[in-house]
Amino acid sequence: MRRYAAPLLFLLPATILIVLFFLIPVVTTVFLSLTDISTVTFKNPSWVGLQNYRDLLVDPFIPKIFYNTGRYVGLTLLFNVGMGLVLALLTSLIPERHGDNFRTLWLVPRIMPPVVYVFVWQGLLARAPFGIISDLTGINQGWINSSPWTTIILANGFVGASFGMLIFTSAIRAIPRDLFYAAAVDGASTWQTVRRVVLPLLRWPILFVTVYQTLSLLTSFEYILLLTDGGPGLFKTTVWSLHAYKLALSNYFGNIEFGLGAAMATFLVVIGVIVSLVYMRVFNFRELVSEPKIEVN
Amino acid sequence: MKAKWLVIPLALVMSLALAQQTVVLKAWTIGPDDPSITRMTNLQAAAEKLNADLAAEGADFRIELDASFDSTDWDPYLRRVLLAFESGEAPDIVQASAALIGTWAAGGFLAPLDSYVPQFEQFADMVPTLWDSVTFQETIYGIPQDTEARPLYFNKALLAQLGWSAEEIASLPERISNGEFTWDDVLATAKEALDKGVITEGNGYFHRPKNGPDFTQWYRSFGGQVFDEASGRLVFNKAAALRYYSWLAEAVSAGVLERDRLDGSWDRYHQTVTGGDVGQVLFFSGGTWNWAEWTGMVADKGGQDWLFENFGFAPHPSWQQGGSPVTLSNPQAYMVWTGSENKDLAMRLLAYTTVPELDAKHAVDSGHLPILMSTPGIIDDRFTAEVSYLLNFTTFQPPHAELSKWQDALYQGVSAVESGDLSPEDAVETIAAVMQRQLGDQVIIR
Repeated sequence: MRRYAAPLLFLLPATILIVLFFLIPVVTTVFLSLTDISTVTFKNPSWVGLQNYRDLLVDPFIPKIFYNTGRYVGLTLLFNVGMGLVLALLTSLIPERHGDNFRTLWLVPRIMPPVVYVFVWQGLLARAPFGIISDLTGINQGWINSSPWTTIILANGFVGASFGMLIFTSAIRAIPRDLFYAAAVDGASTWQTVRRVVLPLLRWPILFVTVYQTLSLLTSFEYILLLTDGGPGLFKTTVWSLHAYKLALSNYFGNIEFGLGAAMATFLVVIGVIVSLVYMRVFNFRELVSEPKIEVN
Repeated sequence: MKAKWLVIPLALVMSLALAQQTVVLKAWTIGPDDPSITRMTNLQAAAEKLNADLAAEGADFRIELDASFDSTDWDPYLRRVLLAFESGEAPDIVQASAALIGTWAAGGFLAPLDSYVPQFEQFADMVPTLWDSVTFQETIYGIPQDTEARPLYFNKALLAQLGWSAEEIASLPERISNGEFTWDDVLATAKEALDKGVITEGNGYFHRPKNGPDFTQWYRSFGGQVFDEASGRLVFNKAAALRYYSWLAEAVSAGVLERDRLDGSWDRYHQTVTGGDVGQVLFFSGGTWNWAEWTGMVADKGGQDWLFENFGFAPHPSWQQGGSPVTLSNPQAYMVWTGSENKDLAMRLLAYTTVPELDAKHAVDSGHLPILMSTPGIIDDRFTAEVSYLLNFTTFQPPHAELSKWQDALYQGVSAVESGDLSPEDAVETIAAVMQRQLGDQVIIR
């Protein structure tokens, strides 16, 4: 027991945090999802078992929302990780001073409050004379409503790419210079160096960014809420988390269905856990965190 | 000598006991339109009067009103109210749409007020039908705060440019009122204006840019029924919904209604409606309170004079010749939280707020309509005088706890049709299925 005292002590703060902010909310959410709690039944909710889940299964719009979620996460992830990688590589290849300036520029969307950031997009994409794009192109339309998916993915992607960019840049900088010299001596072109030296060494950061971004995209909806509010039309850009939020916390006319919203949130937790497990398997997580076979001093 | 030392603490205790107590009353109010701040300031004025009367009565307490006014939006406000209800920390008085009473009363958050109402003579002056809007299952849960009408505005200057004579323009409200001028005529006129270049594309007809109760009145104007009094159930009339959705689809394809009208931006709505020299939109649905907002927006062009010169108002037309036009009133109400420890005082404060002077001030300043029978007698305001007749055509939202689901579904249909997501026929079937699934036996689909 004594042997474990120190590790347990060190694990304690993290464990407390996980219990407080993950386990307890998950248990509460699962519990709520088994009741019919809503504004109307708030004082006397009844136990409905799996009824909320059954309601979700027969909801004809759920497949669409599920598909939207996959589309949103997949495409935004592709943009985030791809763009992050491209930016990291490009800014590492140019002189450091310029690279740093360029990266700082890409951080602007991230440090901007989401509401202000969305105002900028709205200013770009509204109808003339309010929108700059309509003014410049002469095609007067509400660009957000006419291309809602492109808008959402770009708006999210511009914020998300900077995250990958920073992680990848630091990972590239951590690659021992000797490897680049060796590649140069062997006559490798820039592309070959990137392909054969840099990318294989970025596997761990790419896994980390991909997993992190997937999970955060699954639960993020603030830009969609502010840009399209899940529309136009019937759930055109509504994703799972936005729908859960609307059911559980937002309704113009005031009737809120916590139980149903909680069922959707529970489903999201399950999806998140499954996705994490799949990623760990695909990227061979065990090997990545194993002790190095050689030690370089 | 000893007694002398006793006197000081005794006096202290006595003075504390006799000190005037302060009862804090909390009240939350919302516009969200800025001019409706009188919903809060009227409470403050009433509180002053109440304190003066308490002083005259020799009462040993005064009230302190901790009031707030929200000018952001309904959604965050209602969320705040609901979370406050649920956490047991709600204000004593909440102001919101009377239509919410069904949901909140069913949830057990509102105090029944029947026993209080007869105690205060001020409430006897209320326009009687307004009590219906705050009654749920034969119990009064709110005190009406204001009412309004939601007219179809038209741009007189643009109609004149289209070649309408002054008489034709002046008689439009009457022609709509008697069922002569229908929704089809609105569409035809807008098309003509677009063809002749009087308006630009999309500016033939504007409706609100986001969800709201107004969609119910338009569905009604196409012959729809919302509520079945006899059974107490909601109604969805497929034929009426199809007429409404088809009209919207045709308006979009004709280029007189923007495909992305539901873009969520009130700013763009107001700026386009009041933009240019004479305004840029031919027909536009709004509320009487918009008049107060526009008055501020066009202050540099002439304020109310500019508005009267260029804008006219009428009820929303019927879909058929000879049909009845409609408008919707969504009265606001002050409600008392069931957990309030000062319900008596809260009701007394509301009685002091429900007086003609304050009612008139709110009506004139914010573009709403008075709720008290004696108020029109003391108002000297052209807009209020001219617009009040719309109440003859008014409808209310039905008192049903699940109304929100019905309204959300109807709105989703509008959004689907305008964006081109669904044809009107498919939208009607889809929405009927949504209502059936969500409301079960609480809705009658016809």
